[in-house]
Amino acid sequence: MNDETRHRTEPDGGHTTDGGHASAGERTTDGEHETDGGRATDGGHATAGDELDPSRIDGHADAAEEAFPPLGSIKRWFVTTNHKDIGILYTLTALFFLVFGGVLALLMRVQLWTPGGNFLSPLSYNQAVTAHGLLMVFWFLSPFAFGFANYVVPLQIGAKDLAFPRLNALSYWLYLFSGVLFGVSFFQGQSLAGGWTMYAPLNLPTYMPNVGATTAILALVLFVASVTVSSVNFLTTMHRMRAEGLTYWRLPLFTWTILLTVWMMLFAFAALLAALLILTSDRLLGTTYFAAEGSGSLLWAHLFWFFGHPEVYIVFFPALGVMAETFQTFTGRRLVGRKWFILAMILVAVQSFAVWMHHMFLTGINLQVKTLFMATTIGISLPFDLMVFALIYTMIKGRIRFTTPFLFSFGALVLFIIGGITGVFLGAIVLDYEFRGTYWVVAHFHYVMVGGVTALIGGLYYWFPKMTGRMYDEWLGKVHFGLFFVGFNLLYFPMFLAWETPRRVIEYDPAFVTWHQLATVGAFVLGASFLVMFWNLSRSLFVGEEAGDNPWEFATTAEWAVPSPPPLENFPGTPSYGSGSLRFLTTERALTPGEGSGGAPGVADGGTTAAVGGIDHDLDSRGLGGHDPDRSHDPNHGHESHASVWPFVVGLASFVVFLGLSGFRDGGLPPGMEGGIYAGIAVVGTAFLAFALVGMARQRFRGPAGPFGESWPFDGVENTKLGVWIFLASDVVLFGAFIGAYVFTRVAHGWVDWHVVPHDPTPGLVNTYLLLTSSFSVVLALVAAEKGSRYGLLAGLTATLVLGVGFLANKAIEWNELFHEGLTLSSSVETSTFYLTTGLHGAHVLVGLLIVLYMMGRAARGAYLDDERPVEYFGLYWHFVDIVWLFLFPLFYII
Amino acid sequence: MTSTKLYTAIYVVLFAMATAQVLIEFAGLAYWVGVAAILALSSLKAVMVAGYYQHLRFEPPAISAVVLVGLLAALVLTFAAAYSIL
Repeated sequence: MNDETRHRTEPDGGHTTDGGHASAGERTTDGEHETDGGRATDGGHATAGDELDPSRIDGHADAAEEAFPPLGSIKRWFVTTNHKDIGILYTLTALFFLVFGGVLALLMRVQLWTPGGNFLSPLSYNQAVTAHGLLMVFWFLSPFAFGFANYVVPLQIGAKDLAFPRLNALSYWLYLFSGVLFGVSFFQGQSLAGGWTMYAPLNLPTYMPNVGATTAILALVLFVASVTVSSVNFLTTMHRMRAEGLTYWRLPLFTWTILLTVWMMLFAFAALLAALLILTSDRLLGTTYFAAEGSGSLLWAHLFWFFGHPEVYIVFFPALGVMAETFQTFTGRRLVGRKWFILAMILVAVQSFAVWMHHMFLTGINLQVKTLFMATTIGISLPFDLMVFALIYTMIKGRIRFTTPFLFSFGALVLFIIGGITGVFLGAIVLDYEFRGTYWVVAHFHYVMVGGVTALIGGLYYWFPKMTGRMYDEWLGKVHFGLFFVGFNLLYFPMFLAWETPRRVIEYDPAFVTWHQLATVGAFVLGASFLVMFWNLSRSLFVGEEAGDNPWEFATTAEWAVPSPPPLENFPGTPSYGSGSLRFLTTERALTPGEGSGGAPGVADGGTTAAVGGIDHDLDSRGLGGHDPDRSHDPNHGHESHASVWPFVVGLASFVVFLGLSGFRDGGLPPGMEGGIYAGIAVVGTAFLAFALVGMARQRFRGPAGPFGESWPFDGVENTKLGVWIFLASDVVLFGAFIGAYVFTRVAHGWVDWHVVPHDPTPGLVNTYLLLTSSFSVVLALVAAEKGSRYGLLAGLTATLVLGVGFLANKAIEWNELFHEGLTLSSSVETSTFYLTTGLHGAHVLVGLLIVLYMMGRAARGAYLDDERPVEYFGLYWHFVDIVWLFLFPLFYII
Repeated sequence: MTSTKLYTAIYVVLFAMATAQVLIEFAGLAYWVGVAAILALSSLKAVMVAGYYQHLRFEPPAISAVVLVGLLAALVLTFAAAYSIL
């Protein structure tokens, strides 16, 4: 199904001549979309393209759309929701954190110039080590890759934007403010200093009492919130919004790697969130999970590494995608064994969740499980072998052009091979006993992780012409590569030779001084290479040659078939691969190769379709993002919205809340003025956040509307519904990890000897009745909405509210009694697990009730009667909360 | 979609099963038999809520698969971690 019958073009045939902006045909569809409340049909289900918030689906939104400022306006960058703008913001912010983390690394290397140096104090060194790791892994590497993912993936799949553009902007602002929060931690006494793995019990206030350490952990929580929102968005987009004919086998390889990365992120980061929330609770509320003898430190290791190993692939897969794309483009041939390459990646993504205990070979876990995880670890290297050989054979079979992007990608392959082979040593239990905690590990994972960075830098050069419309200076690019590659190996290879040096330690054996000095020199060469890059790219932005639509000749994916930079809504018509070739469909005709300004023809990724050249566009109006300054002033220029300030406001408010929370400790606040300030910030922040969320909910905002081309296997499932389900799947892992933590701790302390905290199951049973009944009342509310009964709907929602409040009140009474018996959060690990797990569930109930309250207000004014989907989607969440309780009740009250 | 009558019947069954779980605790069964029975009842209730109240029975199977993958991940973490210290 395509838009041919719905999208009309203006007399110019749908070609724009004002800078390659959104097709004129889209302007004319305004009226059509407006009349039906912004909803089109898709697979028998209405689709609005609206975001997850139900208020915008009911057709009664109050606030008007915001105007979209032009590119030159600073305001533009605070309100934009366009995926290309967000991609640029991610890229630039990630590069800032590269510099931040890189400077910390240089400080460490200066300290290690001589053994016993006193450039840094031991505590400063520990903070530098920790912050360097966290910043590089979380705030640089993945967000850098997601700068490209934001920019390129919608183009590659033929979508105008992500499924939920405002949530995409929200992801970015949460990311930015989480990084700012991390930076603030340095000014609160001291930041986290226990290494990027944050091992327990070192991560507890007993050993790291400073507020800054708490702030760093809260910054990570905020970061995970960003990742979760982003994961839901990308998965919905990639599964639901592909162009007609763009089946999974035909998906470009970079998009494939992002798809798999995001699936891993969805589940892995949920486990990390569980670990971080428990740690936050241990620090702020005084629970004793990680302090518990016999279980605490192992529990952290399990939760962290269940996330941590998939994280390696989460970081590396996008780099692999860049390598695959650039190898194809610069060898001029399709990737050898393309399907096997994809299957190997899928296999790795699955296996990545079954290898985490190889990080725990030196702990007290049993030998059987160590052996099992040694086998799975060796096993996961096999699909990588296939991928490496596929890349090598592609080079052999093709004609290589040694451009800067290719050099970086090729360099990445070499570095990854070294990193991979040295990692196999660590996967063997016996060898790991020797290598664990040494510079061998440091060298190995830098060859892997920074090997990935190498490819991503190649990606930056590769897509720079697309993003800016300008070519970088090739000679300077090669100079950058030369310095980078020499600096890299000079920095990290000596670490293999000085492997006996203990990692994270400020001192080392003087026998290794030469290797360490070489590494320090290498670090500065590596750092200097980036100065060349920054100079080259920033200068080229202004004086670089015009790049044209496709400067790479054999580039094959759809982003090269549109102008550089692409227009606001990407394509001159509806992209379709239905005929075997990429076409942009309008009502009048399909644009074919050679039309327009004559972009280079090529072989589309997948090897079966012919790419189409770009359309006419005015190079003079090109800028970063290349959007139409005239139309951008008009709030009604298209049927989709592109501006909202609320994501920024929500991000800022979240930052304030978390900053206020950072002052709490063991359920209280620091004494005196300091405590008052933190409490004040928390209160103000919470009010601010409530204001921001309500503002965002009330704003009318329309994301990309269907119909979409390929949506298998989610045909007929509207975007928002799929988004809710994907979010719930991550929530399954969050609660699963909490329950897993409980089960693990109970097993460690003796299952049957465990002291069940509530003496009486009655309050729990009553709450089970209340929640079950509330689930039933939500169902009745939905039935009433379907029948168009306003009073029935209101009655159902009101009953849900009353029952939910009853649930929380009953819980409050129960907890109050337990507190009076002296059973507090800190009393024992039994009470900690009871209060925190059921408390997390209670927080979910509270959030649900706030949504119900909001929906009641709207229902009273007649909302949801002509479109009951918001009630249905709320119900999905509420029933999930019910299901969780169905397990918490027996686990914590009966057995 | 299903009828209000069916939704009501499911509610009654869920209510009864929740009560049964507590009764099992006092039924004098062997501990692990009781645990298995209680968790089986929880699972059954969860399947009914998900299948009918969340309409998973009427959605494409891929949606159920997404949730089940999350569940599988959580179970792998729980059981492998617990086994590692046995």
